[in-house]
Amino acid sequence: MTEPTLEAAGLVREFGGVAAVDGVDVALPAGGFLSVFGPNGAGKTTLLKLLSGVLRPTRGEVRVGGERLVPGSLACLARIGVLSHQTFLYGHLTAWENLRLYGRLYDLPHAERRIVELLGEVGLLERSRDAVNTFSRGMRQRLGLARTLLHDPDVVLLDEPYTGLDAHASAVLRRVLGALRDGRRTVVLVTHNLTQGLGLADRAAIQVRGRFAWAGAADAVPACDFESFYRETVERAETGAAPAAAVTG
Amino acid sequence: MTYLRQVWAIAWKDLLIELKSRERFGSMAGFTVLAGVLFNFAIDWTAVRPDQITSALIWVTIVFGGTLGLGRTFELEARDEAFQGVLLTPVPRDALFLGKVLSNYVIVLAVTLLVLGVFGLFFAQDWSGRPLLLVATLALGGLGFVAVGTLFSAVSSGTATGQTLLPVLLFPLLVPVVIYGTGATGRILVGRPLEEIEGGLRILAAFALGALAAGAVLFRYVVED
Repeated sequence: MTEPTLEAAGLVREFGGVAAVDGVDVALPAGGFLSVFGPNGAGKTTLLKLLSGVLRPTRGEVRVGGERLVPGSLACLARIGVLSHQTFLYGHLTAWENLRLYGRLYDLPHAERRIVELLGEVGLLERSRDAVNTFSRGMRQRLGLARTLLHDPDVVLLDEPYTGLDAHASAVLRRVLGALRDGRRTVVLVTHNLTQGLGLADRAAIQVRGRFAWAGAADAVPACDFESFYRETVERAETGAAPAAAVTG
Repeated sequence: MTYLRQVWAIAWKDLLIELKSRERFGSMAGFTVLAGVLFNFAIDWTAVRPDQITSALIWVTIVFGGTLGLGRTFELEARDEAFQGVLLTPVPRDALFLGKVLSNYVIVLAVTLLVLGVFGLFFAQDWSGRPLLLVATLALGGLGFVAVGTLFSAVSSGTATGQTLLPVLLFPLLVPVVIYGTGATGRILVGRPLEEIEGGLRILAAFALGALAAGAVLFRYVVED
Protein backbone atom coordinates (compact mmCIF):
# COMPACT_ATOMS: atom_id res chain seq x y z
CA MET A 1 0.00 0.00 0.00
CA THR A 2 1.40 3.43 -0.93
CA GLU A 3 1.97 6.07 1.71
CA PRO A 4 -0.71 8.79 1.81
CA THR A 5 0.38 12.14 0.39
CA LEU A 6 -1.68 13.99 2.97
CA GLU A 7 -2.30 12.46 6.36
CA ALA A 8 -3.82 13.85 9.53
CA ALA A 9 -4.16 11.75 12.66
CA GLY A 10 -6.23 12.65 15.71
CA LEU A 11 -6.22 16.31 14.75
CA VAL A 12 -7.52 18.60 17.49
CA ARG A 13 -7.40 22.38 17.65
CA GLU A 14 -8.82 24.22 20.62
CA PHE A 15 -9.45 27.94 21.04
CA GLY A 16 -9.87 28.90 24.68
CA GLY A 17 -10.79 25.34 25.64
CA VAL A 18 -13.36 24.96 22.83
CA ALA A 19 -12.43 22.44 20.13
CA ALA A 20 -12.92 23.89 16.63
CA VAL A 21 -11.48 20.67 15.18
CA ASP A 22 -12.03 17.65 17.36
CA GLY A 23 -10.28 14.41 16.43
CA VAL A 24 -10.20 14.46 12.63
CA ASP A 25 -8.46 11.66 10.74
CA VAL A 26 -7.63 12.02 7.04
CA ALA A 27 -5.47 9.85 4.79
CA LEU A 28 -5.43 10.84 1.12
CA PRO A 29 -3.24 9.24 -1.55
CA ALA A 30 -1.79 11.05 -4.56
CA GLY A 31 -4.70 11.86 -6.85
CA GLY A 32 -7.26 11.84 -4.02
CA PHE A 33 -9.88 14.61 -4.08
CA LEU A 34 -11.80 15.19 -0.85
CA SER A 35 -14.72 17.60 -0.53
CA VAL A 36 -15.61 18.64 3.00
CA PHE A 37 -19.11 19.95 3.67
CA GLY A 38 -20.61 21.25 6.86
CA PRO A 39 -22.66 24.03 8.45
CA ASN A 40 -21.14 27.39 9.42
CA GLY A 41 -18.89 27.08 12.46
CA ALA A 42 -18.24 23.37 11.92
CA GLY A 43 -14.46 23.97 11.88
CA LYS A 44 -13.86 23.46 8.15
CA THR A 45 -11.64 26.53 7.71
CA THR A 46 -9.72 25.66 10.89
CA LEU A 47 -9.20 22.16 9.48
CA LEU A 48 -7.71 23.61 6.28
CA LYS A 49 -5.47 25.93 8.30
CA LEU A 50 -4.21 22.91 10.21
CA LEU A 51 -3.64 20.94 7.01
CA SER A 52 -1.71 23.89 5.49
CA GLY A 53 0.47 24.43 8.56
CA VAL A 54 -0.85 27.92 9.25
CA LEU A 55 -2.17 26.71 12.62
CA ARG A 56 -0.44 24.35 15.01
CA PRO A 57 -2.69 21.53 16.24
CA THR A 58 -3.41 21.30 19.96
CA ARG A 59 -3.12 17.50 19.56
CA GLY A 60 -2.43 15.18 16.66
CA GLU A 61 -0.28 15.80 13.62
CA VAL A 62 -0.30 16.40 9.88
CA ARG A 63 2.10 14.71 7.47
CA VAL A 64 2.77 15.72 3.88
CA GLY A 65 4.54 13.04 1.88
CA GLY A 66 5.45 11.34 5.15
CA GLU A 67 7.11 14.44 6.60
CA ARG A 68 5.61 16.02 9.71
CA LEU A 69 4.15 19.44 9.05
CA VAL A 70 4.73 22.12 11.66
CA PRO A 71 4.40 25.88 11.08
CA GLY A 72 7.49 26.94 9.19
CA SER A 73 8.52 23.50 7.93
CA LEU A 74 9.70 24.82 4.60
CA ALA A 75 10.00 21.58 2.62
CA CYS A 76 6.34 20.79 3.32
CA LEU A 77 5.21 24.31 2.48
CA ALA A 78 6.84 24.01 -0.96
CA ARG A 79 4.47 21.10 -1.69
CA ILE A 80 1.25 22.84 -0.61
CA GLY A 81 -0.92 25.39 -2.42
CA VAL A 82 -3.74 27.18 -0.59
CA LEU A 83 -6.66 29.15 -1.99
CA SER A 84 -8.92 30.76 0.58
CA HIS A 85 -11.75 33.30 0.25
CA GLN A 86 -8.97 35.80 0.94
CA THR A 87 -6.80 35.87 -2.16
CA PHE A 88 -3.42 36.61 -0.46
CA LEU A 89 -2.69 39.16 -3.20
CA TYR A 90 -1.26 42.69 -3.00
CA GLY A 91 -3.79 45.16 -4.39
CA HIS A 92 -1.25 47.81 -5.40
CA LEU A 93 0.72 45.35 -7.52
CA THR A 94 -0.31 44.14 -10.96
CA ALA A 95 -1.34 40.55 -11.59
CA TRP A 96 2.06 39.91 -13.18
CA GLU A 97 3.97 41.50 -10.29
CA ASN A 98 2.02 39.44 -7.75
CA LEU A 99 2.80 36.18 -9.50
CA ARG A 100 6.42 37.19 -10.11
CA LEU A 101 6.75 37.87 -6.37
CA TYR A 102 5.47 34.40 -5.56
CA GLY A 103 7.69 32.91 -8.27
CA ARG A 104 10.70 34.43 -6.52
CA LEU A 105 9.55 33.32 -3.08
CA TYR A 106 9.14 29.75 -4.35
CA ASP A 107 12.45 30.18 -6.21
CA LEU A 108 10.97 28.88 -9.47
CA PRO A 109 13.54 28.58 -12.27
CA HIS A 110 11.21 29.37 -15.21
CA ALA A 111 8.62 31.49 -13.45
CA GLU A 112 7.85 33.79 -16.41
CA ARG A 113 6.79 30.91 -18.66
CA ARG A 114 4.66 29.39 -15.92
CA ILE A 115 3.04 32.77 -15.16
CA VAL A 116 2.04 33.27 -18.79
CA GLU A 117 0.65 29.74 -18.93
CA LEU A 118 -1.43 30.15 -15.74
CA LEU A 119 -2.69 33.64 -16.57
CA GLY A 120 -3.87 32.18 -19.87
CA GLU A 121 -5.60 29.30 -18.09
CA VAL A 122 -7.54 31.59 -15.76
CA GLY A 123 -8.30 34.09 -18.55
CA LEU A 124 -6.34 37.04 -17.19
CA LEU A 125 -3.44 37.31 -19.63
CA GLU A 126 -4.77 40.55 -21.14
CA ARG A 127 -5.16 42.13 -17.70
CA SER A 128 -1.74 41.00 -16.44
CA ARG A 129 -0.37 44.57 -16.32
CA ASP A 130 -3.35 45.98 -14.37
CA ALA A 131 -3.29 46.55 -10.62
CA VAL A 132 -5.20 43.92 -8.65
CA ASN A 133 -7.09 46.78 -6.93
CA THR A 134 -8.94 47.31 -10.22
CA PHE A 135 -10.06 43.65 -10.44
CA SER A 136 -13.53 42.34 -9.65
CA ARG A 137 -13.99 39.69 -6.94
CA GLY A 138 -14.12 36.95 -9.57
CA MET A 139 -10.95 38.12 -11.29
CA ARG A 140 -9.10 38.26 -7.98
CA GLN A 141 -10.21 34.76 -7.15
CA ARG A 142 -9.03 33.50 -10.55
CA LEU A 143 -5.68 35.20 -10.01
CA GLY A 144 -5.60 33.68 -6.52
CA LEU A 145 -6.04 30.28 -8.16
CA ALA A 146 -3.10 31.00 -10.48
CA ARG A 147 -1.03 31.96 -7.41
CA THR A 148 -2.05 28.71 -5.70
CA LEU A 149 -0.93 26.57 -8.63
CA LEU A 150 2.17 28.59 -9.60
CA HIS A 151 4.66 26.24 -7.92
CA ASP A 152 2.83 23.12 -9.13
CA PRO A 153 1.99 21.86 -5.61
CA ASP A 154 1.32 18.20 -4.79
CA VAL A 155 -1.34 19.16 -2.24
CA VAL A 156 -3.98 21.79 -3.04
CA LEU A 157 -6.22 23.12 -0.26
CA LEU A 158 -9.26 25.14 -1.30
CA ASP A 159 -11.46 27.03 1.15
CA GLU A 160 -14.80 28.13 -0.33
CA PRO A 161 -13.26 29.11 -3.67
CA TYR A 162 -16.69 29.75 -5.23
CA THR A 163 -17.69 32.46 -2.72
CA GLY A 164 -18.91 35.61 -4.48
CA LEU A 165 -18.07 34.44 -7.99
CA ASP A 166 -20.16 35.21 -11.05
CA ALA A 167 -21.13 32.50 -13.55
CA HIS A 168 -18.09 33.08 -15.78
CA ALA A 169 -15.60 33.01 -12.91
CA SER A 170 -17.31 29.89 -11.50
CA ALA A 171 -17.00 28.15 -14.86
CA VAL A 172 -13.29 29.01 -15.14
CA LEU A 173 -12.72 27.81 -11.58
CA ARG A 174 -14.64 24.57 -12.22
CA ARG A 175 -12.57 23.91 -15.35
CA VAL A 176 -9.24 24.53 -13.61
CA LEU A 177 -10.26 22.50 -10.53
CA GLY A 178 -11.39 19.69 -12.82
CA ALA A 179 -7.93 19.68 -14.39
CA LEU A 180 -6.44 19.16 -10.93
CA ARG A 181 -7.82 15.61 -10.96
CA ASP A 182 -4.75 14.45 -12.81
CA GLY A 183 -3.98 11.45 -10.61
CA ARG A 184 -0.95 13.17 -9.14
CA ARG A 185 -2.31 15.96 -6.99
CA THR A 186 -4.11 15.60 -3.70
CA VAL A 187 -6.92 18.09 -3.24
CA VAL A 188 -9.06 19.07 -0.26
CA LEU A 189 -12.00 21.34 -1.06
CA VAL A 190 -14.10 22.95 1.64
CA THR A 191 -17.41 24.20 0.30
CA HIS A 192 -21.09 24.78 1.01
CA ASN A 193 -21.91 23.97 -2.59
CA LEU A 194 -22.90 20.29 -2.43
CA THR A 195 -23.36 19.81 -6.19
CA GLN A 196 -20.02 21.31 -7.20
CA GLY A 197 -18.18 19.67 -4.33
CA LEU A 198 -19.56 16.20 -5.10
CA GLY A 199 -19.02 16.63 -8.84
CA LEU A 200 -15.28 17.13 -8.39
CA ALA A 201 -14.47 14.76 -5.54
CA ASP A 202 -13.87 11.05 -5.19
CA ARG A 203 -14.23 11.25 -1.41
CA ALA A 204 -16.53 13.38 0.72
CA ALA A 205 -16.97 14.19 4.38
CA ILE A 206 -19.53 16.08 6.43
CA GLN A 207 -17.98 18.00 9.31
CA VAL A 208 -20.14 19.01 12.28
CA ARG A 209 -18.90 20.50 15.55
CA GLY A 210 -15.29 19.86 14.60
CA ARG A 211 -15.71 16.14 13.77
CA PHE A 212 -16.40 14.21 10.62
CA ALA A 213 -19.98 13.05 11.19
CA TRP A 214 -19.82 11.11 7.92
CA ALA A 215 -17.05 10.23 5.48
CA GLY A 216 -17.05 8.00 2.44
CA ALA A 217 -16.80 7.73 -1.32
CA ALA A 218 -18.34 10.67 -3.14
CA ASP A 219 -20.65 8.30 -5.03
CA ALA A 220 -21.70 6.36 -1.91
CA VAL A 221 -24.88 8.42 -1.76
CA PRO A 222 -26.66 9.23 -5.05
CA ALA A 223 -26.14 12.90 -5.92
CA CYS A 224 -29.90 13.51 -6.08
CA ASP A 225 -30.30 12.29 -2.49
CA PHE A 226 -27.21 13.92 -1.05
CA GLU A 227 -28.88 17.13 0.11
CA SER A 228 -31.39 15.32 2.29
CA PHE A 229 -28.66 12.91 3.46
CA TYR A 230 -26.50 15.94 4.38
CA ARG A 231 -29.35 17.57 6.36
CA GLU A 232 -30.10 14.38 8.27
CA THR A 233 -26.44 13.79 9.05
CA VAL A 234 -25.96 17.33 10.35
CA GLU A 235 -29.11 17.10 12.50
CA ARG A 236 -28.05 13.72 13.90
CA ALA A 237 -24.54 14.98 14.66
CA GLU A 238 -25.81 18.12 16.34
CA THR A 239 -27.85 16.02 18.73
CA GLY A 240 -24.77 13.90 19.36
CA ALA A 241 -26.19 10.77 17.68
CA ALA A 242 -23.54 10.37 14.94
CA PRO A 243 -20.20 8.67 15.72
CA ALA A 244 -16.96 10.18 14.37
CA ALA A 245 -15.91 9.02 10.89
CA ALA A 246 -12.55 9.12 9.12
CA VAL A 247 -11.39 9.71 5.55
CA THR A 248 -9.10 6.88 4.54
CA GLY A 249 -7.08 6.23 1.43
CA MET B 1 21.80 32.70 -3.34
CA THR B 2 18.19 31.55 -2.99
CA TYR B 3 18.11 33.09 0.47
CA LEU B 4 19.34 36.46 -0.80
CA ARG B 5 16.90 36.35 -3.72
CA GLN B 6 14.05 35.77 -1.27
CA VAL B 7 15.21 38.64 0.96
CA TRP B 8 15.34 40.89 -2.08
CA ALA B 9 11.94 39.70 -3.33
CA ILE B 10 10.29 40.81 -0.06
CA ALA B 11 12.12 44.15 -0.08
CA TRP B 12 11.39 44.70 -3.78
CA LYS B 13 7.69 44.03 -3.20
CA ASP B 14 7.49 46.50 -0.30
CA LEU B 15 9.37 49.22 -2.17
CA LEU B 16 7.29 48.74 -5.31
CA ILE B 17 4.08 49.05 -3.27
CA GLU B 18 5.48 52.17 -1.59
CA LEU B 19 6.47 53.64 -4.93
CA LYS B 20 2.94 53.16 -6.20
CA SER B 21 0.99 54.12 -3.08
CA ARG B 22 3.38 56.49 -1.22
CA GLU B 23 1.25 55.70 1.83
CA ARG B 24 4.12 55.53 4.29
CA PHE B 25 6.66 57.95 2.84
CA GLY B 26 3.91 60.56 2.35
CA SER B 27 2.98 60.64 6.02
CA MET B 28 6.61 60.49 7.16
CA ALA B 29 7.65 63.30 4.80
CA GLY B 30 4.69 65.43 5.86
CA PHE B 31 5.63 64.97 9.51
CA THR B 32 9.26 65.88 8.79
CA VAL B 33 8.42 69.12 7.02
CA LEU B 34 5.90 70.11 9.71
CA ALA B 35 8.41 69.33 12.46
CA GLY B 36 10.99 71.53 10.72
CA VAL B 37 8.51 74.40 10.41
CA LEU B 38 7.37 74.09 14.04
CA PHE B 39 10.90 73.89 15.43
CA ASN B 40 11.83 76.91 13.33
CA PHE B 41 9.12 79.02 14.96
CA ALA B 42 9.22 77.47 18.43
CA ILE B 43 12.93 77.96 19.10
CA ASP B 44 14.38 81.35 19.97
CA TRP B 45 17.44 81.38 17.74
CA THR B 46 18.86 84.41 19.54
CA ALA B 47 19.09 82.31 22.72
CA VAL B 48 20.54 79.06 21.29
CA ARG B 49 22.96 78.21 18.53
CA PRO B 50 21.62 75.77 15.92
CA ASP B 51 24.59 73.39 16.22
CA GLN B 52 23.81 72.95 19.94
CA ILE B 53 20.36 71.49 19.41
CA THR B 54 20.17 70.39 15.77
CA SER B 55 21.39 66.84 16.50
CA ALA B 56 18.62 66.30 19.08
CA LEU B 57 15.97 67.69 16.72
CA ILE B 58 17.24 65.49 13.88
CA TRP B 59 16.98 62.30 15.92
CA VAL B 60 13.63 63.19 17.48
CA THR B 61 12.23 63.83 14.00
CA ILE B 62 13.71 60.63 12.52
CA VAL B 63 12.43 58.48 15.39
CA PHE B 64 8.93 59.99 15.53
CA GLY B 65 8.55 60.26 11.75
CA GLY B 66 10.03 56.81 11.20
CA THR B 67 7.67 55.27 13.75
CA LEU B 68 4.72 56.63 11.74
CA GLY B 69 5.87 54.63 8.73
CA LEU B 70 7.04 51.52 10.57
CA GLY B 71 3.67 51.28 12.28
CA ARG B 72 2.02 50.72 8.93
CA THR B 73 4.46 48.05 7.74
CA PHE B 74 2.21 45.13 8.62
CA GLU B 75 -1.05 47.02 8.30
CA LEU B 76 -0.54 47.00 4.52
CA GLU B 77 0.19 43.28 4.70
CA ALA B 78 -3.11 42.59 6.44
CA ARG B 79 -5.24 43.62 3.45
CA ASP B 80 -6.62 40.51 1.79
CA GLU B 81 -4.43 38.62 4.26
CA ALA B 82 -1.56 39.06 1.81
CA PHE B 83 1.12 38.29 4.38
CA GLN B 84 -0.61 35.00 5.15
CA GLY B 85 0.12 34.00 1.56
CA VAL B 86 3.78 34.93 2.01
CA LEU B 87 3.91 32.85 5.20
CA LEU B 88 2.65 29.86 3.21
CA THR B 89 5.72 30.00 0.95
CA PRO B 90 8.92 28.15 1.84
CA VAL B 91 10.81 31.31 2.74
CA PRO B 92 12.84 31.20 5.96
CA ARG B 93 11.25 33.54 8.49
CA ASP B 94 14.55 35.33 9.11
CA ALA B 95 14.70 36.08 5.36
CA LEU B 96 11.22 37.60 5.60
CA PHE B 97 12.39 39.74 8.50
CA LEU B 98 15.54 40.90 6.72
CA GLY B 99 13.54 41.72 3.59
CA LYS B 100 11.13 43.86 5.61
CA VAL B 101 14.06 45.54 7.39
CA LEU B 102 15.74 46.30 4.05
CA SER B 103 12.67 47.98 2.58
CA ASN B 104 11.96 49.91 5.79
CA TYR B 105 15.60 50.98 5.91
CA VAL B 106 15.48 52.41 2.39
CA ILE B 107 12.35 54.38 3.31
CA VAL B 108 13.81 55.64 6.61
CA LEU B 109 17.04 56.65 4.82
CA ALA B 110 14.95 58.64 2.33
CA VAL B 111 13.21 60.35 5.26
CA THR B 112 16.60 61.03 6.87
CA LEU B 113 17.76 62.77 3.70
CA LEU B 114 14.60 64.84 3.77
CA VAL B 115 15.25 65.72 7.44
CA LEU B 116 18.73 66.94 6.54
CA GLY B 117 17.31 68.99 3.68
CA VAL B 118 14.54 70.56 5.75
CA PHE B 119 16.75 71.29 8.76
CA GLY B 120 19.51 72.61 6.53
CA LEU B 121 17.00 75.00 5.01
CA PHE B 122 15.34 76.22 8.21
CA PHE B 123 18.35 76.23 10.54
CA ALA B 124 20.94 77.20 7.91
CA GLN B 125 22.89 74.14 9.03
CA ASP B 126 25.95 73.27 6.95
CA TRP B 127 26.38 69.47 6.60
CA SER B 128 29.52 69.56 4.50
CA GLY B 129 32.01 69.59 7.42
CA ARG B 130 32.48 65.83 7.90
CA PRO B 131 29.92 64.21 5.63
CA LEU B 132 31.23 60.62 5.86
CA LEU B 133 31.07 60.55 9.64
CA LEU B 134 27.61 62.09 9.59
CA VAL B 135 26.39 59.52 7.06
CA ALA B 136 27.90 56.66 9.10
CA THR B 137 26.20 57.88 12.29
CA LEU B 138 22.80 58.33 10.69
CA ALA B 139 23.09 55.04 8.75
CA LEU B 140 24.06 52.95 11.79
CA GLY B 141 21.54 54.58 14.10
CA GLY B 142 18.85 54.26 11.44
CA LEU B 143 19.60 50.55 10.95
CA GLY B 144 19.23 49.80 14.66
CA PHE B 145 16.03 51.82 14.80
CA VAL B 146 14.54 50.04 11.78
CA ALA B 147 15.54 46.54 12.97
CA VAL B 148 13.87 47.00 16.37
CA GLY B 149 10.95 48.92 14.82
CA THR B 150 10.20 46.22 12.24
CA LEU B 151 10.07 43.48 14.87
CA PHE B 152 7.82 45.47 17.18
CA SER B 153 5.64 46.58 14.30
CA ALA B 154 4.94 42.88 13.70
CA VAL B 155 4.22 42.39 17.41
CA SER B 156 1.84 45.35 17.66
CA SER B 157 0.04 44.54 14.39
CA GLY B 158 -1.23 41.33 15.96
CA THR B 159 -2.87 43.17 18.86
CA ALA B 160 -6.14 45.03 19.21
CA THR B 161 -4.35 48.28 20.10
CA GLY B 162 -2.12 48.06 17.00
CA GLN B 163 -0.30 51.28 16.19
CA THR B 164 -1.03 52.81 19.59
CA LEU B 165 1.03 50.08 21.22
CA LEU B 166 4.07 50.44 18.93
CA PRO B 167 5.61 53.62 20.46
CA VAL B 168 5.04 52.26 23.96
CA LEU B 169 6.99 49.11 23.10
CA LEU B 170 9.54 50.75 20.84
CA PHE B 171 10.68 53.98 22.44
CA PRO B 172 12.20 52.51 25.63
CA LEU B 173 14.34 50.19 23.47
CA LEU B 174 15.50 53.10 21.32
CA VAL B 175 17.13 54.94 24.21
CA PRO B 176 20.67 53.78 23.21
CA VAL B 177 20.11 54.84 19.58
CA VAL B 178 18.86 58.28 20.59
CA ILE B 179 21.56 58.87 23.25
CA TYR B 180 24.55 57.75 21.16
CA GLY B 181 23.12 58.96 17.85
CA THR B 182 22.45 62.42 19.23
CA GLY B 183 25.82 62.53 20.99
CA ALA B 184 27.82 61.49 17.92
CA THR B 185 25.87 63.74 15.55
CA GLY B 186 26.25 66.75 17.87
CA ARG B 187 30.01 66.23 18.15
CA ILE B 188 30.33 65.88 14.38
CA LEU B 189 28.44 69.12 13.81
CA VAL B 190 30.62 71.13 16.20
CA GLY B 191 33.83 69.61 14.76
CA ARG B 192 35.07 67.56 17.75
CA PRO B 193 37.95 65.10 17.12
CA LEU B 194 37.29 61.59 15.83
CA GLU B 195 38.32 59.99 19.15
CA GLU B 196 35.26 61.58 20.80
CA ILE B 197 32.95 60.20 18.14
CA GLU B 198 34.12 56.67 17.40
CA GLY B 199 32.94 55.24 20.75
CA GLY B 200 29.37 56.30 19.97
CA LEU B 201 29.65 54.89 16.46
CA ARG B 202 30.81 51.53 17.81
CA ILE B 203 27.85 51.36 20.17
CA LEU B 204 25.46 52.25 17.35
CA ALA B 205 26.99 49.51 15.17
CA ALA B 206 26.78 46.95 17.99
CA PHE B 207 23.16 47.90 18.68
CA ALA B 208 22.27 47.56 14.98
CA LEU B 209 23.91 44.12 14.68
CA GLY B 210 22.34 42.92 17.93
CA ALA B 211 18.89 44.16 16.88
CA LEU B 212 19.19 42.50 13.45
CA ALA B 213 20.28 39.18 14.97
CA ALA B 214 17.60 39.23 17.68
CA GLY B 215 14.91 40.23 15.19
CA ALA B 216 15.91 37.48 12.74
CA VAL B 217 15.68 34.85 15.50
CA LEU B 218 12.48 36.12 17.15
CA PHE B 219 10.46 37.06 14.04
CA ARG B 220 9.12 33.53 13.46
CA TYR B 221 7.64 33.42 16.96
CA VAL B 222 5.84 36.68 16.26
CA VAL B 223 4.33 35.80 12.86
CA GLU B 224 3.64 32.08 13.28
CA ASP B 225 0.91 30.43 15.33
